[in-house]
Amino acid sequence: MSYLSIFFQYAGQYLKTRLTYRADMLVEIFSDLLFQAVNLIFILVVFGHTSLLSGWSKDEMVFIYGFFLVPFAIFGAFFNIWDFTDRYIVKGEMDRILTRPIHSLFQIILERMELESLFGVITGLGIMFYSGHQLGLSLHWYDPFVFVLLVAGGALVYAGIFVALASIGFWSDSKTDIMPMMYNIGNYGRYPVNIYNRIIRYVLTWILPFAFVGVYPSAYFLGRDEWYGYAFFTPVIGVIFFGLSVVFWNYGVTKYRGAGN
Amino acid sequence: MDYIIDVKDLRKEFTSHSSRSGLKGAFRDLFTRNYTIKTAVNDVSLQIKKGEMVGYIGENGAGKSTTIKMLTGILTPTSGLVRVNGMNPHKDREQFVRSIGVVFGQRSQLWWDIAVQESFRLLKKVYNVPDEFYNTHMADVIKTLGIEPLLDKPVRKLSLGQRMRCELAAALIHNPPLLFLDEPTIGLDVLVKLRIREFLKEINAKYGTTILLTTHDLSDIEALCERVIMLDEGQIIYDGALRKLRENWGEGKQIQFAFAEEATHAELQSLTQGHLVLWEQGGNASNWTASVENNEDIISAVIGRVVGAKKIADLKIVEITTEEIIRNIYEEGVIRNG
Repeated sequence: MSYLSIFFQYAGQYLKTRLTYRADMLVEIFSDLLFQAVNLIFILVVFGHTSLLSGWSKDEMVFIYGFFLVPFAIFGAFFNIWDFTDRYIVKGEMDRILTRPIHSLFQIILERMELESLFGVITGLGIMFYSGHQLGLSLHWYDPFVFVLLVAGGALVYAGIFVALASIGFWSDSKTDIMPMMYNIGNYGRYPVNIYNRIIRYVLTWILPFAFVGVYPSAYFLGRDEWYGYAFFTPVIGVIFFGLSVVFWNYGVTKYRGAGN
Repeated sequence: MDYIIDVKDLRKEFTSHSSRSGLKGAFRDLFTRNYTIKTAVNDVSLQIKKGEMVGYIGENGAGKSTTIKMLTGILTPTSGLVRVNGMNPHKDREQFVRSIGVVFGQRSQLWWDIAVQESFRLLKKVYNVPDEFYNTHMADVIKTLGIEPLLDKPVRKLSLGQRMRCELAAALIHNPPLLFLDEPTIGLDVLVKLRIREFLKEINAKYGTTILLTTHDLSDIEALCERVIMLDEGQIIYDGALRKLRENWGEGKQIQFAFAEEATHAELQSLTQGHLVLWEQGGNASNWTASVENNEDIISAVIGRVVGAKKIADLKIVEITTEEIIRNIYEEGVIRNG
């Protein structure tokens, strides 16, 4: 498939450019790691005061956080579209995108990828193995495949929500704070949803389904069978949300007004 | 007759809301908004044949860029028919853009940080150009544009003229039969301009590439295009040969005076009373230009009277330039009696 070979061409070029600015790359990886460490410490501090939170132990919480890091890293590596309105609509870069024979969203993914974010996958896996070991979890032969499927679902949920938000830029190029707000809301998905009240739980499941990025899929690996239904629903939700957001995006492209010269 | 660009009653409207004044107005804006519809392109129809080089001109905001953006599939028209290369640009966008090349003078197609040849290679992949075609075709383009020494430099280190030549080459990687150029020579020095013009003529002759060009620099149009389409407030006000435009409009002459001392408009006007002379001030108060009919008697009479009354440092008679013709058309409208 030609999209795949175009992807590798871009990725190769990206690495080549990044390697010439090695210091930048190291700083970025380091700041990512620091950010992840702060979040982990937060969880540990909370559990310094209590041993159980709505029936979840510390190690389970840490495991969920570890899982969350994986789809989030993949999302962060390929969907850097939080500044889409500024960069592509206001500055008119979308004009250029639209004169090339590849799907516009795919081009933006290619142009904005930040492969060093993928480092988060390793951190996430590390945290999961450590806390999984503490919990005495065992691994089945099919678990890696389920893992890939659930991670893909989670990443698609994130991508879907942010692509839909970016698409708003086609109608209105005014500045909003909706993107950073959504990043914050996204963080709620990495804590067990039953610690929240009903309304928030409903929102995190069906409206802004961030729960499908962290807690629901992790429940499968933690053997929490009361959540299995949700866990296996993760890829479905991912495909639905991402699919809808692409439809919304495509419609938005026809409303693109262009930047004045 | 098959047209490469066939546009009928093309229209593009932009709605924008106008905000009311004051705090009270802002509150009212929250609930009901005043929308204003601005028609950027107003029922434009045009046909362009294969191999033509057409200049598309107009003042800022006349709708040139909007038209080009609709023809290239960037913007969706409000109404009207567009067929370019036999396709509907915004419907089959991804398929369609393979058949066109686009250069926006104010926007780079190349990657800022990477070497020019890496940019070319990415584009080659994007357009899926076969190796052997790329090698022969691009070698030719690169040679004609003289950009071999620039290939391994990153785009950000190029001068504007160097970058523009690379942009042109990048737009031609897939050898499109139709090329859109939006202000390709903006800000370039004369030598680069000449080189780009030569190159455009060459590819037009060699591949029969159709070229639609917008520019503020009318010398581009004079050098390249036999046909011009002139746009004003979203409508075509002239579509035809550049030569004809000159014949109908360029019949006057200009006499440029540089006086030894300063002169005033009233003073000069009273000197040439009785003849139809339009006086305009040049750079300073002692430089004046008189526009007159192309008639030897009148020219001699005007010069005679002025020279008789005022000391002269320099004197020149020139034909009215295309630029002035265009300016006159915009000021007076294209239909003139006589």
